[in-house]
Amino acid sequence: MESALADTTDLRVWDLPVRAMHWLLVIGIGVCWWTGLHNELEYHLYSGCAVLWIVLMRLYWGVVGSSTARFVNFVRGPKAILDYASTLHRRDTPRSHGHNALGAISIVFMMGLVLAVVILGLFAVDVDGLYSGPLSSYVTFKQGRDLAHLHYHWFNILLWVIALHLTAVIFHFIYKRQNLIGPMIHGKRPVDAGDIGETAETEIGGARPLWRFVIGAVLATAIVYAVSIGFYF
Amino acid sequence: MSASGFRCVAIAVCVAFGLAFWRAAADPAAVAQIKSRQDKLRDMGGALKAINDELKKRRIDWDNTVMPNAQTIKDRSGYLLNWFPRGSGPESGVKTYALPAIWQNDDDFVTLGKLAQVEAAKLNQVALSKDANALKAEVEAMGKACKACHDSYRSPDYTKENDN
Repeated sequence: MESALADTTDLRVWDLPVRAMHWLLVIGIGVCWWTGLHNELEYHLYSGCAVLWIVLMRLYWGVVGSSTARFVNFVRGPKAILDYASTLHRRDTPRSHGHNALGAISIVFMMGLVLAVVILGLFAVDVDGLYSGPLSSYVTFKQGRDLAHLHYHWFNILLWVIALHLTAVIFHFIYKRQNLIGPMIHGKRPVDAGDIGETAETEIGGARPLWRFVIGAVLATAIVYAVSIGFYF
Repeated sequence: MSASGFRCVAIAVCVAFGLAFWRAAADPAAVAQIKSRQDKLRDMGGALKAINDELKKRRIDWDNTVMPNAQTIKDRSGYLLNWFPRGSGPESGVKTYALPAIWQNDDDFVTLGKLAQVEAAKLNQVALSKDANALKAEVEAMGKACKACHDSYRSPDYTKENDN
């Protein structure tokens, strides 16, 4: 194991489901944004359900996925966050394996916001009373309209948080000379000084069995389907 | 900062506040016109939503929900084109989603309004026929008739804080 790792210059940091869900979420939110702005609500409903599925899958994978995907491994306490924040200005800090302590906050915040915006959208009513959210039959027209406005305003907040996320990625690229985008595409990052002696244990624990992903996919699909028909079976 | 400079800033602030509250001085007739229009259109939107909800629930209450709401839409749609007299747009100073394009493309606006009236009449017929499949198709046609006008002549939702 040690010798096998010594031969390679890269460490695996993100497993395939994490990367796939990240980029699918980017596409999903992009489609939601465009269809929402152009009042193409028929397709907005589909893309919204897709985003719900992705977020549910990511939450599930945050419990059963590989080490860097798990919430217990990257959500840290205030001390770890402050310690990390105090080294933010330094250029020679070792790479974090997975989310860093500060990035973890933005990930949790972003995921929470995406979920909140989706849930608001489920109850939102469009001005025509035609392409309303799948759960809109549980609210009145007026309530649904108010929720539609909230749905929009919370999405605006989400856009600011996404902007912050992108700023952090650019900051790492320019100031810290760490490319975070590559690893999110191919899953690997270069070994650096901070990894000596701990590579074997910090690398993600190999491929997760496919059945774990399939179980989550089936559950998430069932939930999204139930929501999409408004729980009227 | 010099005293005259300070005076200029103070005057500018007062003017800015004055402009911000200018719309409070809108014509009461326009206020009433727009409020009434918004209430009636909201009733129509609510009525279509109520019918749509029956389709979602897949337990259609024809007598108590579909028929009265289809009737509301048909009745109200008859007056639709009377609700937009010239001067009841954003130039009135009242908060409204109505776009100036309504009065610039008068013919197109009237055409779309009449198409909505046709669909409203059809919806009412379907409600009386109690045919679920026909209702599904006609609710969509009705909603699209509403949307056709809203897409061109109503400001998008996100341009305002709320519907009121």
